[in-house]
Amino acid sequence: MADADLPSSSATPKPLPQPARSQPTDTAEIVDCVVVGTGAGGAPLLARLAMAGLKVVALEAGPRHDARRDFATDEKAQEFLFWNDERLSAGRTPTSFGNNNSGTGVGGSTLHYTAYTPRPQPDDLRLRTEFGVGQDWPLAFEDLEPYYDELEHLLGISGPATYPWGPPRRRAYPLAPLPLNGAAQLMQRACEKLGIRTSPAANAALSARYYQEGIGWREACTNRGFCQAGCSVGAKASMDVTFIPLAEAHGAEVRAGCFVTEIERDARGHVTGVVYEQDGQRHRQRCRHLFLCAGAIETPRLLLLNRLALGSGQVGQNFMAHPGMQVWGTFTEEVHPFKAIPGALISEDTHRPAGADFAGGYLLQSIGVMPVTFANQVARGRGLWGPALRDYLRQYNHIAGINILGDCLPHPDNYLELSGEPDSRGLPKPRVHFSFHENEERLTRHAEGVMRRIWAAAGAEDVWAFSRSAHVIGTCRMGHSADAAVVNAEGRAFEVPNLYICDNSVFPSALSVNPALTIMALSLRTADAFLARQRRRNQ
Amino acid sequence: MKIPTTYPPGTVRALLDTPAVSPATRKALQQRLHASQQPYEPRFFEPAAFVLLRAVCQRLLGQADPPLVEVAYCIDTRLHLQQADGWRYDALPPDADSYQLSLRGLQQTAQARHGQDFVALPGPAQDALLTAFQRGTIEGKAWQGFDAALFFQDLLAEVTSLFYAHPLAQEEIGYMGMADLPNWTHIGLNQRDPREPEPTD
Repeated sequence: MADADLPSSSATPKPLPQPARSQPTDTAEIVDCVVVGTGAGGAPLLARLAMAGLKVVALEAGPRHDARRDFATDEKAQEFLFWNDERLSAGRTPTSFGNNNSGTGVGGSTLHYTAYTPRPQPDDLRLRTEFGVGQDWPLAFEDLEPYYDELEHLLGISGPATYPWGPPRRRAYPLAPLPLNGAAQLMQRACEKLGIRTSPAANAALSARYYQEGIGWREACTNRGFCQAGCSVGAKASMDVTFIPLAEAHGAEVRAGCFVTEIERDARGHVTGVVYEQDGQRHRQRCRHLFLCAGAIETPRLLLLNRLALGSGQVGQNFMAHPGMQVWGTFTEEVHPFKAIPGALISEDTHRPAGADFAGGYLLQSIGVMPVTFANQVARGRGLWGPALRDYLRQYNHIAGINILGDCLPHPDNYLELSGEPDSRGLPKPRVHFSFHENEERLTRHAEGVMRRIWAAAGAEDVWAFSRSAHVIGTCRMGHSADAAVVNAEGRAFEVPNLYICDNSVFPSALSVNPALTIMALSLRTADAFLARQRRRNQ
Repeated sequence: MKIPTTYPPGTVRALLDTPAVSPATRKALQQRLHASQQPYEPRFFEPAAFVLLRAVCQRLLGQADPPLVEVAYCIDTRLHLQQADGWRYDALPPDADSYQLSLRGLQQTAQARHGQDFVALPGPAQDALLTAFQRGTIEGKAWQGFDAALFFQDLLAEVTSLFYAHPLAQEEIGYMGMADLPNWTHIGLNQRDPREPEPTD
């Protein structure tokens, strides 16, 4: 597709000289749906569409792994799980990518997610109504609730019998909570003294063997503590052991190592197919419908590269990342922070803190940590080196942390754009501007105070705070109108009738909870809405 | 707080041969142990720059010569292979340029301050240069227009991560998470699985 054919856009810099590209091979087969990306956004809808009898093909940029055989209990050896192509982090509080939030391989970022699965609370979706800032979602909690319920039972979420926050659930979690590790016990003990309610967290790792229709038995968590470096047991509900096998059992085709570069359209502007690179060869896959589920960086990047669906001016805008400060302390007790799921204990008492000087709120989670991740944070956060570094890290087995996950408002100066720097494929690297503004700073200050009080009550020494941001959200927001949003509440692009987007890019607000469960819920909902529309058309 | 958590020398190496370590984990750790003990010819840096990088790593990690764990060769290999970790501060040049510039700058400033090569300086003088680098106050033409403090953070994070990925450094901090088969059953405070050794001072 020649650049000259495309309308110009102020959101896109002058394109880089493109490397000479051969004609793609083309089978001429037209499939019903192509899904780009196999993470929490792509995999659930892939399964749903395949189960409805559609011919679906998923294109995944990364490889397919055999986790049981290939995943080592070693952080460095597992770096292949991360999206390691360089992104440029700009702004006053630049956010980091790679192991912080970006995965690759069949299963996407769920290969290294921590599998925290709290539901948002209903007011999370009505931030503007409640506070007059940020955005409301174009759908309500009640629209997502049936999907949360379905997912919790399909994935086998381990969680408490009764959860102290949010609306009551129609069914209890299917499995008992995972055991509390040292960090969780320390936090629980201190919170009890301070009158802060806590609960074992909901987690998508199995506390007991679990059977799934269409998938089979999955084994229980062995407390390896390596969730963020890949689960070698199959206990963690990453997409490669849940929705992907389910989809494949129903005829979906998953092609690994396929990097999509072009989205082709006809004269009406409807998508006709995609062109992707696999092993250095270019291929075309024609389709009737396209689902972009490549995450909040690669999805808008693809749209910007292809100058597609840019009319709202919102593609790449509203970039958000959760304020995710961690507070670490040293304890006389042995903690062994690598053991068991890192975040076993949660509190949502800070969801809407009384007297807060900010909009939204945050949750608190106890955290264990793998040694290299911790050492990296000590280097960045404390700047220790030489003997001071070695001495501090000798305390590793006595370290425990708490972290928050807080709401983030959209700001005009937080956005993604294409840079002028080419990547190894000759495509422009994305540049992501991110700065905490007053709301994120106030929320973080409040949270730091609470976390320091908790660790003081637990008897911690040498307490320090590491300010960071987590998750990538919001670059193709959903909304009610084509002037203000890229997709509607069903994930369908306003400008391109056979283009759907489903990943964390469509979130209108950040939600003060981990996003994976909600991405999966949106994925199933998007698939159901699509299937209902197809049925109406066929009647 | 004085806490003994170091494992006796040999603990982790002995563990690697046990069934508590999976084949994939064993392979990764043994390869790393082996590679760090081999002679290494730099492929990205000039020989003099590589010697300087090695000296910087030694100070940052508080290591004597020969060091417990070599890390400079990993940086050289990464830059040679043009590998990245998913992101870079937009305010900094590409990693390869930032490394070259920093090493050139350290050498220049060492010469200006002491009339000697960085590698010939006594430890405290090297540390003073690295402290100025970390604070972004280091003087000299090479550093102009470069956010030295920001890159120092990247450099220190890379060096530190490489060090603590090594089984011998993990032994030092009493880490044996790699020996995770068949499972961990004693996960609470002050609990130790039977295969976990007593830490020593």
